[in-house]
Amino acid sequence: MNEKDFAERIRPWLARAEAQVGEVEATRLRAARLRALDAVREPVRLFGLVAVSEATAQTIRYSVIQRSLLWLPMLAFLATLAFQSVRESDPGEIDAQLLTQELPPDAFLDQDFRQWLEQPHG
Amino acid sequence: MAGTAARLTAGAFLMALALAAGAREHSAPQTPWHSLSPEQQRILGPVAPEWDRMPGFQQQRLLGAARQYPDMRPIQKQRFEQRIRDWSAMTPEQRRAARQTFQGLRQLPPERQHELRERWLRSHPGYEKHGR
Repeated sequence: MNEKDFAERIRPWLARAEAQVGEVEATRLRAARLRALDAVREPVRLFGLVAVSEATAQTIRYSVIQRSLLWLPMLAFLATLAFQSVRESDPGEIDAQLLTQELPPDAFLDQDFRQWLEQPHG
Repeated sequence: MAGTAARLTAGAFLMALALAAGAREHSAPQTPWHSLSPEQQRILGPVAPEWDRMPGFQQQRLLGAARQYPDMRPIQKQRFEQRIRDWSAMTPEQRRAARQTFQGLRQLPPERQHELRERWLRSHPGYEKHGR
């Protein structure tokens, strides 16, 4: 009897016992299974420096990616702020442009003008 | 759980940044009129009577606008001198709204900007005659 046949034979017994396993035991069994799988896997060199188990390497990679994704919107926001502060380093620049262009400042408070601005154009 | 905490932290951080930006603007120190250079006093002459009553952030903006003055064309200098007094008499909310609309206009294609300017000028013939 080879390994596969043996597994087929004991499967119904294990399946029947599965229903009697509680939540806590199931979690402990799952953890033990992962530890066992981890122990037989080849160690992985992380960043070419340290040798760690495959599971540890996966956890580290996942953690790094997840954290990066979490910080990405924050970094994008900070980059936008930095860009704006460089672009508008002189707070009077826009005021000067507004005061010196063709229309008077009142025009930009005109309700009609604001509505025209929002109208789609072809 | 960790995701919620991270979102809350990010929200608090963004709120703090926004508050800090607002506070920074409103905490700008006042600049007395007598400490301005003769050149700045000449450019900002139209607002001299109100200058010392203006909040610091408004003075800073006007000083920033005045820094652009030497590079302006003659027609722009003329408009600046004519409009600066009315501009500084507006409320901060009105100025903010005007800047917002102006920036909205600048984002449009040049032809569309021109079209809207012309449309406003046509609907205000009095302005076209005297102020242009």
